[in-house]
Amino acid sequence: MEKALNVRHLVKEYKMPKGPAFRAVNDISFEINQGECFGLLGPNGAGKSTTMHCVTGFYPANSGSIEIMGRDVSQDPKSARQQLGVCHQEETLDNDFSLIQQLESYAGYFGFAKEKALSRGWELLERFELKDRAHQLSEHLSGGMRRKFQVLRAMLTEPKLVILDEPSTGLDPEARRTLWNEINLFKSNGGAILLSTHYMDEAQRLCDRVAIISKGKIMDCRSPQELIAHYIGLDPIEEEIRPGYKLTRPPNLEDVYLKVTGQRLGGSV
Amino acid sequence: MEEAFKMLHSIFRVWKRYYDVFRKNLVYGVVTTFVEPLLYLFAFGYGLGSLIPTLDYMGVTLEYRAFIFAGIVGQTALFIAFFEGAYGGFIRMYYQRVFQAIAVTPVTLTEVLWAEILWDATRATFGIFAVLLIGSIVGDFSISGAIAYLPIAFLSSMLFASLGVFVASKAKTIEEIGYPQYLFIFPMFLFCGVFFPIERLPETVGFVVKLLPLTGVAVTARSFLLKTPVDWLSVSASIVWLVVFVPLSISSMKKRLVK
Repeated sequence: MEKALNVRHLVKEYKMPKGPAFRAVNDISFEINQGECFGLLGPNGAGKSTTMHCVTGFYPANSGSIEIMGRDVSQDPKSARQQLGVCHQEETLDNDFSLIQQLESYAGYFGFAKEKALSRGWELLERFELKDRAHQLSEHLSGGMRRKFQVLRAMLTEPKLVILDEPSTGLDPEARRTLWNEINLFKSNGGAILLSTHYMDEAQRLCDRVAIISKGKIMDCRSPQELIAHYIGLDPIEEEIRPGYKLTRPPNLEDVYLKVTGQRLGGSV
Repeated sequence: MEEAFKMLHSIFRVWKRYYDVFRKNLVYGVVTTFVEPLLYLFAFGYGLGSLIPTLDYMGVTLEYRAFIFAGIVGQTALFIAFFEGAYGGFIRMYYQRVFQAIAVTPVTLTEVLWAEILWDATRATFGIFAVLLIGSIVGDFSISGAIAYLPIAFLSSMLFASLGVFVASKAKTIEEIGYPQYLFIFPMFLFCGVFFPIERLPETVGFVVKLLPLTGVAVTARSFLLKTPVDWLSVSASIVWLVVFVPLSISSMKKRLVK
């Protein structure tokens, strides 16, 4: 079966105003199968978002190749992006339009017929529990609703690959559950997901494989269970969560992350 | 050929997004588009025009009202296209991130930016249409000249739209757009022949003014609408500005967004 995403020896450097270029992504390779959720974990500045920008074709790679469903992103960006849906880390909603109008407009960029876009749009709005907001401007929604809508928009055109850059930031627990259900449904229908998240439980729950990325390099890449078993073991861990209060819990991805990178998510130890 | 068609289709989709936004605020857009030239017509045409009945322009005697109203055509292209490109472009790039959102779909960033310039030019051409309509109704412009001028109006508007997008690509904050606005756009509005013939300026200053983009645009508008002679130096300068700044503004905005 064709790979949904195939990244080979990707290198991305940023020109600096003074001094040598900064290598944000340093020769990384990975692939994502159809129906697979692949997670990128790492601290801020590790190269996750840069990798995602390169995969979308928005940032050109210095070297290496990226193929989405066999279409080269730099050689044939239109065809490659036809298979792609993107939820940026930043909000990129079109606040001049209501939700349903945004979906119609967005689908138009993919050449979707209006009727098909609206039919799919209403279906997704219902599943994401946003149907009663369909005729509102997105600026009138709560932050969590806007985030959910941005994920919904990425899935509108039935892409083969969806890039979700920290999709659940700002979501309440119920909204996160809704999002997780939709991601799992998308996966079960054969869709592939490239996910970046700072929530370890989210990665552990959703991802079939996880790459731990630090300073532009992939440190390791396996299933969450394999990573935990390999680096930490399966024995419960005793942790002092506040002075004088110890808790015994199962090992998790954060333990792996700490061990592999020597950093906490979001900063150095 | 197929690639060209795909590109045009993508540009049209983005252009339509802008049109749909305009259509949502249609009443506001139409009212403001028509009110501004009417104000100029009364203030400068009937007000100032009553003090200066006629003037000599490139060997032709013109009613001052007709002279200035043809100049307002150029000013309309300048203000609407530049402000749409500069302020609108900055907002869409920096605050709304519309460019970034669309450019990860099958529409490329180059196509998004072409659509931006073409929409800004469309919006300005609509404003010019209002001026041409009013000028034709009051009898200042020849109707055939006004119709023939519309494609030139669009190209003139593209020139100023590209200047606006270029400024947006260079501005670190929205306030910084004020520098070119006050140091370049407003001086052009005052000195490039909208209100008086540039032949009245000192020779050296007049030569510099002829090289600024608005001068050629105003000269062209008068030649179509009032059948006055063409100053080819200023028209050629405007063509050079257009040919240079459309690709330059697109590459500058791409440089700003793509790292």
